[in-house]
Amino acid sequence: MSALVGGLLSPLLTPTHALALLALGLLIGQERASAPSIAAFIAGLTAGLVAIAWAVGETWAPDILLAAAAVSAGLIALAQPLPRIVPAGLAAVIGVALGLDSPPEVISVGAATAMLIGTGIGAGLAVALIAAGAQQLTRWWQRLGLRIVGSWIAASAVLVLALRYGHGLMF
Amino acid sequence: MKQSPQAPLLAALFLALALASTPAAAHTGSMQGGFVGGLAHPLFGLDHIIAMVAVGLWGAFLGPPAIWLLPVVFPLVMAAGGVVGILGVPLPGTEIGIALSAVVLGLMVMLAARPPLAVAAMLVGAFAVFHGYAHGAELPPGADAVTYCIAFVIATGLLHLAGVAFGLSARWPAGRFVVRAAGGAIALGGTAFLSLVG
Repeated sequence: MSALVGGLLSPLLTPTHALALLALGLLIGQERASAPSIAAFIAGLTAGLVAIAWAVGETWAPDILLAAAAVSAGLIALAQPLPRIVPAGLAAVIGVALGLDSPPEVISVGAATAMLIGTGIGAGLAVALIAAGAQQLTRWWQRLGLRIVGSWIAASAVLVLALRYGHGLMF
Repeated sequence: MKQSPQAPLLAALFLALALASTPAAAHTGSMQGGFVGGLAHPLFGLDHIIAMVAVGLWGAFLGPPAIWLLPVVFPLVMAAGGVVGILGVPLPGTEIGIALSAVVLGLMVMLAARPPLAVAAMLVGAFAVFHGYAHGAELPPGADAVTYCIAFVIATGLLHLAGVAFGLSARWPAGRFVVRAAGGAIALGGTAFLSLVG
């Protein structure tokens, strides 16, 4: 598998990343706040990926990612209209954390760069597609289903956070 | 309502899973990790299955907004119970609480009880703590635990939705009778589990 493809698939194959992307995409779609939130996500993700490319040390990124996923999913379950700044802020936080939690698993500079670019494209596309899909859910039962899925994601994220804490994996 | 052609197949599958389950088998403390393990965990404990289905049944029986509120409240509070279990904080009477959840929720359905929404949510939430604790206390160590957590939340939610789907038949008189009878059966099953763990 090429480094670029590996990077593209990385956010989808890492359970905590996929959980966060799903929560964020659904929240953006539910709140119909696509443009500013996706822009904030891309900006945050770029910043995170650049920082990890500069080999910053171990950070709280995995825990912050899960916490932001839990908050986003909790907001989906609540389904209340939010100020645009809320999904955009969460998008920026998730973007930075996801970038920082995606160290390239290759040694050469070229392959590492390709992997980081792939991660950026994969994560950005995933959020945009999930948000676009969630915006199409307009029937009452579809909106209810969204809230139920939100509660599942929030519960999963909280449990994984507790597990990290319980097993001493937190930063 | 037009019945789905897959309905008999799904019912048979559900029945087979229920019959293959053993009392409290979901909480024996020995299971494999990963997504499949997490998905299977709630499905191989009959006490857990009937309580989860009862949550959905009662939600459907009460109608909106309980039909979505109860399946939303349960996993959120269950996660809180799971955190307590993961952190190793003792919670006495967990198995009794789980069995009692089937008894009480089954009775609510059988008696067609319609308490205020907040009371229904608090009742369901209180029992969710015990179910979450049992799951949390037995989470397998290792990297697979992440997918395990996600999978068992999904499995629990799907059991709720199965209950909601079945409970929607209460719109018709015959369906209402069947749903209430199912509530009675759940309460009886819970009583049996209660006698085993009590």
